[in-house]
Amino acid sequence: MKRPDLLLIAGADQERRATATRFAWIAAAAIVVLVLTVQPFSDANVWWHLALGRLITTSGIPAHEPFSFLPAAHAWVGQQWLYEVTLAGLVGAGGAGLVSLVMGLAAVAAVVLAALAIPRSVRVTGPWLAVSMVITGVVLHSVVGVTSAVISVLGVAVVLFVISRWRDGRTSAVWGLPALFLLWANMDAGFAAGLLILLAAVLLIPGAPSHAGSRRQLALALGISAIAALANPVGPGIYASVLSGVFDPGVAQSLAGFGSPNFHEWWARLFEGEVLLVIVLWTVSGGPDRFSAITGFGLLIATLFAQENLGLFAVFVTPQLAVHGSRAWTLHVAPRLHGPEQAATRHLHPVATGIALLAMTAAMAVALVPRLSASAAATYQASTYPEAPATYAGHNFPGQRLYTIDTWGGYLAYRFPSGRIVFLYDEPAVFGSNALQLYDAIDLLDPNWVHVLTTENIHHAIIPADAREAAALHVLGWTVNCYDPTSRSLVMSSSPGGIAPPGSGLVIPPPGAPDC
Amino acid sequence: MSSVAAEAVHEPRSGFRERLDSWTAPSGLFIAAVLVIMALPVTRTIQDPDFWWHLRAGQLIIQHAGLLGNDPFTYTVANHHWTMHEWLNEVLFAVEFAVGGLGLIVLVLCTVTWLGLLAIMQKARLRNPTRGVLGMGMLIAVIAGFPIWGPRVQMITFAFAALTLLLVERHLVKGGKAIWALVPMFLVWSNFHSGFVIGLGFIAIILVAELIGAWLHMPDSAPRERLRPLLLVLIASVAVSMINPNGPTILLYALGTQTSGAQQSLIEEWFSPSFHDWEVLVYGAMLLSMAMLVVFNRHIRARDVALVLVTTALSLQSARHIALFVAASTPVYIDQLALATPRIRAALRRLRRAPATARTRARVQPPLLFRLTACALLMAGLGGVYVAWLVPKMQLQPYSLTYAQEFPVCAAQWLAGAPEPLKIFNQYGEGGYLSYTLSPHGDKVFIFGDAALMGDPLLYSYANVETVTPSWDSIIRASGTDIVLYDIKTPLADVMDHAADWTKVYQDGLSVAFVSTDRLSTLHLPPVPDWAPGSVCAKQAKATPNAGAQNR
Repeated sequence: MKRPDLLLIAGADQERRATATRFAWIAAAAIVVLVLTVQPFSDANVWWHLALGRLITTSGIPAHEPFSFLPAAHAWVGQQWLYEVTLAGLVGAGGAGLVSLVMGLAAVAAVVLAALAIPRSVRVTGPWLAVSMVITGVVLHSVVGVTSAVISVLGVAVVLFVISRWRDGRTSAVWGLPALFLLWANMDAGFAAGLLILLAAVLLIPGAPSHAGSRRQLALALGISAIAALANPVGPGIYASVLSGVFDPGVAQSLAGFGSPNFHEWWARLFEGEVLLVIVLWTVSGGPDRFSAITGFGLLIATLFAQENLGLFAVFVTPQLAVHGSRAWTLHVAPRLHGPEQAATRHLHPVATGIALLAMTAAMAVALVPRLSASAAATYQASTYPEAPATYAGHNFPGQRLYTIDTWGGYLAYRFPSGRIVFLYDEPAVFGSNALQLYDAIDLLDPNWVHVLTTENIHHAIIPADAREAAALHVLGWTVNCYDPTSRSLVMSSSPGGIAPPGSGLVIPPPGAPDC
Repeated sequence: MSSVAAEAVHEPRSGFRERLDSWTAPSGLFIAAVLVIMALPVTRTIQDPDFWWHLRAGQLIIQHAGLLGNDPFTYTVANHHWTMHEWLNEVLFAVEFAVGGLGLIVLVLCTVTWLGLLAIMQKARLRNPTRGVLGMGMLIAVIAGFPIWGPRVQMITFAFAALTLLLVERHLVKGGKAIWALVPMFLVWSNFHSGFVIGLGFIAIILVAELIGAWLHMPDSAPRERLRPLLLVLIASVAVSMINPNGPTILLYALGTQTSGAQQSLIEEWFSPSFHDWEVLVYGAMLLSMAMLVVFNRHIRARDVALVLVTTALSLQSARHIALFVAASTPVYIDQLALATPRIRAALRRLRRAPATARTRARVQPPLLFRLTACALLMAGLGGVYVAWLVPKMQLQPYSLTYAQEFPVCAAQWLAGAPEPLKIFNQYGEGGYLSYTLSPHGDKVFIFGDAALMGDPLLYSYANVETVTPSWDSIIRASGTDIVLYDIKTPLADVMDHAADWTKVYQDGLSVAFVSTDRLSTLHLPPVPDWAPGSVCAKQAKATPNAGAQNR
């Protein structure tokens, strides 16, 4: 019989090795997720947020929409000012590469925190944590990048982590929540999802038995957090602003993020696969608790209505995948593979693990560093956005109104932050339905599209070469000033009166048109 | 134990009277009412734009006493080989039309859809749910399928799929020889519609799921000795489905549609359902509540899991597959509802703090005569409603105002007066109607709804014109088009209205026509008719509420 003190030492050593093994798996998964989440400025909204951040830095938060020549129906909602100022500061400090890296790291932090948001009483092995993290990273790939959605993804992960600690009896963690919501409410409207998740926790999770009144503490922290969220430029109107953004049908029609997922796209198929996986795992592993089930289905409904909620859903189910995947494996698969007696928990060899992690880190660096360079950002920007056409228009038509598609409106706001020469960009809640109708009239070529061009005094346009507006303006007799082969876009201007309209066909690239 | 089963245990059966009591009980009346109500949403006017070219193709098959090797309707892909996978259905359309007009076709297709729903109900009954749960589940399923119902060829596949699943489930639960009825059924189905591969796929999925389920010790696995006949039936069904004018290639035909990027991305009914559309909300609610019930009950058969997963994936991908979801998932939904009901009732009792064993009150049945009278009145009322619903839809003719608001009825009448056949660039969803009405006149269309026949390159060309990309004008001209007939208030129509080299030659409440200005004098188009007041086209010009739908 072994001495009790030796048993204790062996137990502690076993625990340490188990922790190291879990850490290794989490680190490896985090490296994979980082490669997926570091992205260039693929979300076109980043440009007007950036322009606004610079404007706020110099002039404070504007009271009215600052870039467009259209009259905005509503006062400017400066709710995201902190995100915008941070964005501008990061770009100023390290360029686009630094912003991409920081946002990628924030997304990784969200995934790691979500994977660790598991009550300590539930033992989940490292491989299952890693699998759940990688699945989440792959699903998140389509919604993260340089976008304020990452802030909400991270915020939800922090909330889940705090709830899990609270369930373990560490109730002091909840007092960090008001500070979190104070910051979050000034960066992204998704803070409301965090409050709802907390509310669900208060209502559905029994308080830690060892801490009397712990549920009251969580409820109190929720109340203070809800009040802390009011400390932003919109003040008490922030909740009405969030609600109008969620339930305004005009917003759903004009923004792809507020539409249902298109399951022909691979990312939606991944989402569907993740949903089915979670439901199957819940079913075969004893079922979720009430909080997980109700909140999970709530987020699923939210994502089916608005695909931009995908990130919140993905983060929420990360601990569910880990816990229920591990449990289902133990219950149903492991006994069939290994027989009734369980295989002993295997620990990784420390040296081999260290070498593997170093190799993964090196591979990640090889993959990421070129993407973060200034030249890579410039190349991406020139091919994705009308950089050269904007420069051309700035030189040749200074101060004159420009039509462009809504997704490029933000870029033009960034390029021309003063003078109000931009038509519209993706902030429909501020512009209102009248401005949206004016935009749609041209974009969808409604019967009054020519009338809108005339009344709004628009004589120049920067548009993709394959856009319907290009063909339509050509029919009206507009001429191509220049063509940018890099972004495949055109600068077009209305022709002076008296020139006969051309034939209907527009040839791309336009013969005789110079490069922008 | 369900109440039906409980009644069976406690009350000795006494033949006819017992059944009469059962069907005149409130639960029996409820099911009878559900059966009639189910027929309402599936009974509609013809809204499927493809119906018209199917009808014309059937007439041509009869006329030529054989399948058409090539496409007779278009001037763009006339050299494409036409795989007429729906030939038998098209011939039946033509025969029904000759015998009873559109009304008979509407009646037959709606009846077929209703029979499919009946098969779903019968499958659900194999698991003995209470009548209340059965009826509620069926009503939810019928409303969930609302975006899809209507007289269209796909309803044949819906009904056959539901029948396939019923026969397979019956075999797995009860055994017997009835499963062999699938073999002749697939022989007929494969000549009706290429969707028969879905039925073959369902059987294969059930077989694989049962094997995996047995390995995982999932509940209520089918006895292994019943899987062998099912496998044999599957093999025989695959073999007989090749007895088809198209031969074995018909097996691969449906896959072409599923893998066509152009069809999936351009044709509206292949789009994913948008949950902002109220029509699919009940489908979404059914999907989500089923997921909740499965998680709540944690008891589901392997074959049910497989069927629900596959049809969920299909229906999320394309709204048109909601019908398959309804066919395969409704019995599972009803089963899950039945499983959850006792637990929900117990939970409600706990909430009300009622005693666990509720007092059983002796049910006093009203006199039989009273019940029969009530039953007759109810059925007569519902039957009357249904007949009042059905008859106006059967009375419509191809040139009725209802159709004139959806299809270019008036423009077709105008074009029929042209002295020479024309090549018409048309809206995708209107090619079928134009082919039906104008192909006897020799006119040809740019495109119609057999997307597989059209091919991806033509679909992409059409999309370039529809979305007015810079190449729109050159595509129309290069194809040899004589006249462009399109819906008003669409981007193409609005741009052509401003184009100097195109001249507007016709407009009604739905359509507008343009001709290249340099060809205007050579086409000898008929004058724009002055529709008589009170005529369908005069009314259409006033009544068409919102023209401009695309890719219907």
